[in-house]
Amino acid sequence: MAYISQYAYYENSGAVPENANWGSYQYVSLEDIVNNFMLMYSGNHELINNEDRYKVLFHAKRGIQELNYDAFKEIKTLELEVCDTLRFVLPSDYVNWVRISLYKGGVLRPLTENIQINGATAYLQDNDCRILFDASGNALSPQYSEIDFDRIKNQKKSIYLNDASPYNGKEGYCYNGDWYFEYNIGARYGLNTETANFNPTFRIDNKGGVINFSSHMSGETCILEYVSDGMENGSDSKVTVNKLFEDFIYAYIQYAILNSKLGVQEYIVRRAQKNKSALLRNAKIRISNIHPGRLLMNLRGRDKWIK
Amino acid sequence: MINSVRATVLAVLNKSNYGYISPSDFNLYAKQAQLDLFEDYFYTYNFQVNKENVRQSGTGIADLKKSLEEVIEFFSVTADLTHVALNTFTPPSDYYLINKLLFNNGTKLKEMEKVTHSKITMLNNSLLTAPNETFPAYTLEENVITAYPSTIDANGEVKCQYFRYPKDPKWTFINLSAGEPSFDSTAADYQDFELPLSDEPNLVVKILEYAGVSIREAEVVQFAKTEETQNINEESR
Repeated sequence: MAYISQYAYYENSGAVPENANWGSYQYVSLEDIVNNFMLMYSGNHELINNEDRYKVLFHAKRGIQELNYDAFKEIKTLELEVCDTLRFVLPSDYVNWVRISLYKGGVLRPLTENIQINGATAYLQDNDCRILFDASGNALSPQYSEIDFDRIKNQKKSIYLNDASPYNGKEGYCYNGDWYFEYNIGARYGLNTETANFNPTFRIDNKGGVINFSSHMSGETCILEYVSDGMENGSDSKVTVNKLFEDFIYAYIQYAILNSKLGVQEYIVRRAQKNKSALLRNAKIRISNIHPGRLLMNLRGRDKWIK
Repeated sequence: MINSVRATVLAVLNKSNYGYISPSDFNLYAKQAQLDLFEDYFYTYNFQVNKENVRQSGTGIADLKKSLEEVIEFFSVTADLTHVALNTFTPPSDYYLINKLLFNNGTKLKEMEKVTHSKITMLNNSLLTAPNETFPAYTLEENVITAYPSTIDANGEVKCQYFRYPKDPKWTFINLSAGEPSFDSTAADYQDFELPLSDEPNLVVKILEYAGVSIREAEVVQFAKTEETQNINEESR
């Protein structure tokens, strides 16, 4: 297949969207990978023979998924407004998060993860604390647990940080941007530095598929940076791999097939494994793009005085 | 070639007045002999591939695999499959072996993978390997080809490249009032052998074998068998 023309590249040959082919030359499609593998690495004189295409496809996809988790460094971003449920539903292709930020006043503020529980599932109970069940024998749940309700209705205390205020470091309630404190009785010792941050905090409920925020995130804009597995929602024609990893993917498929095939000598499997690992290392170095021009700017920072 | 084969067969049979075979008998034996040799080509091809894999095959004119490929590819046909209903199609009536099915998505031809019935259900349920229009598949059941995904469901969407059976040879003749029937290659139903000329001796031997059995002449059968064994030994060297 011929490469696309400049016109097709820059203007998608007049079709929409105009940017469909921008940067496409960096990538090789899954279809090409499987096709090339079947042509070049599988056949009568090759290590792999009479292998079904769906097996090659499976291993190619698994290889691409693994690369997407770390080596590719292709981070997706999604901006959504957090409404009064203080929830951010994870994107449909979400696998793991990289950074979650609050976007406010033109500034991106990275948020810290609160490792303390800020949400829970609850069961309805009677006066004797016995769990209530429905006719099918399933426990009945309220819409919100108490801890969720407190967080959402902003009835949970949080720490107020303001050097200029006598209430600095004290626990209080933030409601519509105003802070309310209880009377201090006795002294208050210590500060939970983990959550002592002016910005809202979050905790990810992976099974529930949501990010739960602390109460002052309501109505704010959240930007989620995350990694996917590169499967493009199951659309095989859109799955691509950076060309720097092309050789690695072939080696990965070859190793995966040889490793699970009966009667292949161990030295051949080991050779394929070493080849795969070496190619992955090379590709990672290449994609890091370490070159003098880049290092120079970082190294200049070493002469800076830290006050 | 068919007339020459027949003449040789008759010459051998008549040499010691063993007997005579009629044109219709000859045509029957010729068909069987050609089918037998045609099928042998695929086994011989596989044998040559195995030899090549263990570096026992030469290159250039010593590349026997190439000449076998040429003979087999003579029978290659590419044709559109007839759509039956939903995602099912009818295979060609004269196919010996379906080499590949191609899905035409309007812009590109995509090769469809042959999948067994023991795998297709699991494949369809698999997120990673379910057949789709980029990687289509098919199954074969009786005289029906089922394409996957089920969106492949229209006439002209599936092409088939296959190897057909050779056409039935037919030695046609004009009836003479007295004596031998005379060969007529202009008859509408005339059909020569489709195997290469180099197969003429093999065809003669095969037909002799059938003819020998027919006229209950053990010596002819023995002669044919010996010739055949000799050929096989030569080819497998």
